[in-house]
Amino acid sequence: MAVAVPAPRRMRKTLLGAVPMTSPFYALHPVTRLVGLLVLAAVPLFIYMPEANLAFLSLLLVLFVGGRVDLRGLRIYLPLVMTVAFFMFLVVLLSPDYASGYIPIHLGPFTTYYQSLRWTIASYVRIMAMLFATILYFSTNHEREILVALRTLRVPFAVSYIVGLSVRAAGMFMEDFRVIRQAEQARGLDSSSLRLRDRTRLYGMYLVPLFTIALRRAEEISNALAARGYSMSGKVLTGGVRHDFVRARYRLRAIDACLILLMVAGLAVVAYLQVRSGWFGLERSPLLMAWQRHLGGTG
Amino acid sequence: MGAAGRPAVAIAGLSWTYERRSEPALRDVDLTIDQGEFLGVVGPNESGKSTLLYVIQGLIPSNFNGIWRGRVELFGKDTSAMSGLERAAAAGLVFADPEAQFTAMTVEEELVFGLENLGLDHRQIELRLQRVSDLIDLEELYDRSPYDLSGGQKQRVAIACVLAMEPRVLLLDEPTSMIDPRGKKEIFEVLRRLKDTDHTVVVVEHNLEELAALADRVCLVEGGRVRPPLPAGEFFARVDELIEAGLQPPQVAQTFAELARAGLYDGPPPYRFEPAVSAAREVLSHG
Amino acid sequence: MEASVGTSKVAAASVWEVREGEIRRPGIIHVVMMALFAGVGIVVGTLGSLAVPVGFVSAFWPGQAVQAVGSVWFGYWGGIAGALFPLVSNLLSGSAPLPVSIAYLPANFAQSMAAGWAFRVFRADPRLRSGRDWLVWIGIGVIAANLFGSLWGSNVLVVFGLVTRAAWLKIWAGWFVGNTLPSLILGSLLLRFVSPLVVNMRAFCKRYWA
Repeated sequence: MAVAVPAPRRMRKTLLGAVPMTSPFYALHPVTRLVGLLVLAAVPLFIYMPEANLAFLSLLLVLFVGGRVDLRGLRIYLPLVMTVAFFMFLVVLLSPDYASGYIPIHLGPFTTYYQSLRWTIASYVRIMAMLFATILYFSTNHEREILVALRTLRVPFAVSYIVGLSVRAAGMFMEDFRVIRQAEQARGLDSSSLRLRDRTRLYGMYLVPLFTIALRRAEEISNALAARGYSMSGKVLTGGVRHDFVRARYRLRAIDACLILLMVAGLAVVAYLQVRSGWFGLERSPLLMAWQRHLGGTG
Repeated sequence: MGAAGRPAVAIAGLSWTYERRSEPALRDVDLTIDQGEFLGVVGPNESGKSTLLYVIQGLIPSNFNGIWRGRVELFGKDTSAMSGLERAAAAGLVFADPEAQFTAMTVEEELVFGLENLGLDHRQIELRLQRVSDLIDLEELYDRSPYDLSGGQKQRVAIACVLAMEPRVLLLDEPTSMIDPRGKKEIFEVLRRLKDTDHTVVVVEHNLEELAALADRVCLVEGGRVRPPLPAGEFFARVDELIEAGLQPPQVAQTFAELARAGLYDGPPPYRFEPAVSAAREVLSHG
Repeated sequence: MEASVGTSKVAAASVWEVREGEIRRPGIIHVVMMALFAGVGIVVGTLGSLAVPVGFVSAFWPGQAVQAVGSVWFGYWGGIAGALFPLVSNLLSGSAPLPVSIAYLPANFAQSMAAGWAFRVFRADPRLRSGRDWLVWIGIGVIAANLFGSLWGSNVLVVFGLVTRAAWLKIWAGWFVGNTLPSLILGSLLLRFVSPLVVNMRAFCKRYWA
């Protein structure tokens, strides 16, 4: 009889999500990946053309798949994607910007304008591009690697330690929140049946015990740090340099240097093209121009 | 006493009152702990046991506000003249809540943090990790987040983090209070191994059953006063006194104290299992 | 009324008063508190941005409550945490890319520190015991802080070309209301119910650093 073998775990939980157990990205130094985040998150700032940002999103999708990220894990962002779209388009429908020369578009009882709608579409796609660039980073980097990247960039140990502690605190806060909710559910509270006003009040009241726990924890952690000899000055007992054991495990290689240069150069090119010549401006968007022509405007 | 002749810990005339409290947490404490000794510290809640450990390590008064009187020495050196790093290197402290001690992302980073504070280089850190792993079996946990571990594993990691720094004095504040029974077993197993080393160990514990098997001497802390430590046999023989202080002496000691009251047993009540079995055989043979 | 104000003046003064001989020094506890507060802010800020997003602003951003109370309790440590945690929470929620979040820093710092400055300068009680304390909190810690923050932040969005000049007013209004409401509701809750615990903690800053 065949014995069912559990499928090997593909993803490993982190504080900020989950990362693949193996990924080609792990061959790159954490600082290369951090530069990747900075570049990928900044590129959409210079691109207004929805087509270009959609192409950028497609590139991100390729990177997600190539990085072996479990795409099913991205489903948690669906509500965000939809909610942002809903609210942005609701605002442009109910209260569109208007200036002289704007082309009206009538949608049932609502009147909006091509220019406002165009801008909203372009902004929405830009937001999504920036959001998924960030999600890509946090889906392929463990918190430890974020700290290694910071320390490689010679961020002082105290600062990187504080960043790590903040990230750690975020995780603890979420865990405490979950425990408090479970305790209330165990006592029969069904928050989904509450009215919005009561639910808001409930969540507001959660903050009090959560903050109290966080404050008490700060005292305990500072005692533990002091007991292990940590000081704000970062001095070590021997008086010498603090040896970074974890960072020493990661080596910057030629490929990392090449990729960093390439990415920074790419960003510089995109920025230059947009700032100097408006290469990625809305006016260069074939789809938007075609739409404008269809509406009877000049494009 | 060790070859050097100096005690590991010497406390003289110590009183400590926390800020905004009217009563001292510790009053006129005089205590000497020998090198290589395993000292048990017991007492009711809020009696000053944890404060005693904090004072030995030097966390009080460096990390707390309050009123201090007296003197504490570690291996002959006044703790008030030592830096935080020197104190951490001399006396390691394990807290009751293991999670409150974790700040790193992985067990390995947690272990390495204290060693980096000591200024050790890569090779020395590797050696220390190997040594502590031999004592506490942690290697398979290195890549895991300390928060994802079981209670016993967490506390083992917490002890290992302190042990890795190789302090000569190891202070453990109720190391089994916040973990499950299986975890408790793991921790007491670690303490048994520590007893076979030359560390000076001071353990605050409520589980007198297990402490009895480990401690060379035991002292009672009540109302901020630290009674002179007694050899374990003598300490646990005072069954009625311990019960009056709100403690649970080892079952065997209580049983033999009852037998003594009933006139069926003569002599100090055994407090450990094996001597108790021999004593029981004797009682039965005479009965 | 005069008696209760007088009493609250004494009580408030005693919260901030550094007694003769009292030594107050920045220490590890403050650094840890700053880090933990930033972590709390990351969670609250991210979830708040995700909860009711309106493009680049959130209609209800509870992160501002965390910013304000942080500086009241922990002085500049809380203010720094309050200025920095939005860098991460904005990234995680996608509400602002990194360059924009960096440009927001002055606004976030001001939003964070306004309450901290006001409470110390006017010796208001962080436990909000009197009408005067509430006035300082709402007038400066909530309204003035968010007025500055929303004006700065909405103009940053225009400068970066993320919103049009024509949309600026809506963005500013959404930002102002989206920060002021949670600050008023949640911040008041925290000050009223958690301050009594905080003022007795080692990490509580009577001055700005300790």
